[in-house]
Amino acid sequence: MRIVIPGEVVAERPERMENTYIQEGRTYAKVLGMYDSNGRGIIPLEGAWMPRSDDTVVGIVSEVRNKVYVIDLSYFGRSLLIPGKYEEYSFSVGDVIEARIKEVENRPTIILSEAKPLSEGTVMSVKPRKVLRIIGKKNTMVNQIAGFTKTSIIVGLNGLIWLRGGDIGLASEAIRRVEREAHVSGLTETIRRYLEEKTGTKREMETG
Amino acid sequence: MDAIDTVTRNHVRDIIKGGRRLDGRGLTDFRNIRIETGLIQNAEGSAQVDIGNTRVLAGVKLDVDEPMEDTPDQGNLIMSAELLPLASEKYETGPPSPDAIEFARVVDRGIRHGECFDLKSLFIEEGKVWGLFVDLYVLNYDGNLFDAGLLAAMSAIAGTRIPKYVNGKADREDRTARLSIRNMVSSATFAKIGKSIVLDPSGDEEKAADCRLTIATDGETVRAMQKGGMGAFTQKEIDELIGVSLNKHSGLKDMMTRAQV
Amino acid sequence: MASSSNKPELIVNGRRLDGRGFDELRTIKIVASPLKNAAGSAYIEWGNNKILAAVYGPREATPRHFAESTRAIIKCRYAMAPFSGLSEHGRSGPNRRAIEIAKVTKEVFENVVMLNEYPGSQIDLFIEVLQSDGGTRAAGITAAAVAFAASGIPMRDLPYAVSVGRIGDEVALDFTMIEDNYADSDMPMAIAPRNNDVLLLQMDGKLTREQLSKAVSMAIGAGKGISEIQKNALREAYERSSK
Repeated sequence: MRIVIPGEVVAERPERMENTYIQEGRTYAKVLGMYDSNGRGIIPLEGAWMPRSDDTVVGIVSEVRNKVYVIDLSYFGRSLLIPGKYEEYSFSVGDVIEARIKEVENRPTIILSEAKPLSEGTVMSVKPRKVLRIIGKKNTMVNQIAGFTKTSIIVGLNGLIWLRGGDIGLASEAIRRVEREAHVSGLTETIRRYLEEKTGTKREMETG
Repeated sequence: MDAIDTVTRNHVRDIIKGGRRLDGRGLTDFRNIRIETGLIQNAEGSAQVDIGNTRVLAGVKLDVDEPMEDTPDQGNLIMSAELLPLASEKYETGPPSPDAIEFARVVDRGIRHGECFDLKSLFIEEGKVWGLFVDLYVLNYDGNLFDAGLLAAMSAIAGTRIPKYVNGKADREDRTARLSIRNMVSSATFAKIGKSIVLDPSGDEEKAADCRLTIATDGETVRAMQKGGMGAFTQKEIDELIGVSLNKHSGLKDMMTRAQV
Repeated sequence: MASSSNKPELIVNGRRLDGRGFDELRTIKIVASPLKNAAGSAYIEWGNNKILAAVYGPREATPRHFAESTRAIIKCRYAMAPFSGLSEHGRSGPNRRAIEIAKVTKEVFENVVMLNEYPGSQIDLFIEVLQSDGGTRAAGITAAAVAFAASGIPMRDLPYAVSVGRIGDEVALDFTMIEDNYADSDMPMAIAPRNNDVLLLQMDGKLTREQLSKAVSMAIGAGKGISEIQKNALREAYERSSK
């Protein structure tokens, strides 16, 4: 793995890889990212969220119109939730929801479905490119943060994260740390030690 | 206000009810403060102040100017502020907003009524005085511009060197004379959020605040104040906050003094 | 340009006033991502120039009718701080010169940024000159390229910019303010290093075809060093945060 810069040659021949482009027989990086030389492409270090069908998102109801909810996903396009006939929930402005992207219409309009309310708690905003690291392989990272802090956490691929209960301050601090150090290896272990130390110290203070 | 701001606002208000803050600070704690002077060598004085993630750069320029009609023996102090669009997604390009103008005027009052320097010392000759221009450049916004702005302006002014006056013009190649500083001021800004009051509100705390109060002092007396926002303070609260501001001054003054090169 | 009567000697004993050779750059330092709120940012010290560049977006285009359905739009602001020069206090906000620079700068990035990736959105580029000493547009573009890359917005290349020109009989690189004021010709250029495409070209004064060709080669020659500084700044931003 190495850091590549836009315009840098990653292959001397045309190769279809994520976040690259091909010109005059060569393959170039188009984003700042980590290049995996096994040929799987470039993992971007920064950047905006690119919505795709089936993405799980966290959003806030920003407008209630006749039979349509406008949802703020902290994204430049519009996103709409069109409730079906037998929709279980109804929402008001300011409600936080978790939903799935049904489809992305000739961008930038996102159609959501399967919306569920996320009541109380708060929402924090992180860089969308760090979300997969915050979730971790098989949810390991987010589960360990939730476990140590006793906070319920729902991570939206759009970069909004909902948190409720437990030590929200510590949970969001841990999430910020993952966001900052997303490109560093051994992060799950680092965060585990960090959380152990923080929660351990707290227990001592409470009993002492 | 964006939808997410409303959620943040509610959350800040919730946790402050338990006497806690988002970043775990005590109610009357400042965030980390960093002061660096002399970054802009082309200016006659400059200072950059970080309070947490808020960053304000102050630049001082001295130009040969005409005195005001009613104060022919005094120089002029002209304070301006720009909320640069690179500092926050909420800031827009264009003429100064009312927020920017209020910010500049509050810092101006702190310096002017803190009698930080004698405007008479800026007198050159009959009909000629120095105009002392201070520009506050907000480079990153995360709450509490006022305290950062006054620290930056005060530190930049304290390090200001006066150009030599030659044949009606400023000779900036020769800037050896220091502006003589008589008094140092600093301010403490508080936000009232529900029933709680916090010092040095972050950007998220400012979203949640009902009102804020800025108190500029020299450690002995109060020199300037500004209340902002829809909410209200009681007489008792104001008295207590003045106490906190007076106490915070010596620490802030030390930081400003140490930052002088 | 100032009248020749008070023109200072810009070349003494074959050296420039600051001791540089004709094809020598001033010292350049770049820090990537110094600003917390921007999507991407960069701070550059190029000689005595000190400049911040920041990128916001892609975000909703305002006003909405400015949006393009097939691509992102770029807006650019370039401004000099009132305390940035070694002369009088300046006016705040962009003047006519600054608005022109913002326009040609925007066009540099419209070439390299993959605008089709974010149809309907707006990307803002802000360049604030905190201290100026000649060549601020070139330094601003060089910083802006780093800010764009640091924001993660896809781009074909990482452009750099530099000014070239002529002092007397000599073609020279990277003018300071005093050289800029009295040089016989000044030509700022922005170049995409991947294939040396010229993305910004302005020129005034007087150059022969041969001098112009030499000047362009000199700019491209200097570009390798500038590109390396840009790339190192981006790499260091991640090495720094892993500590």
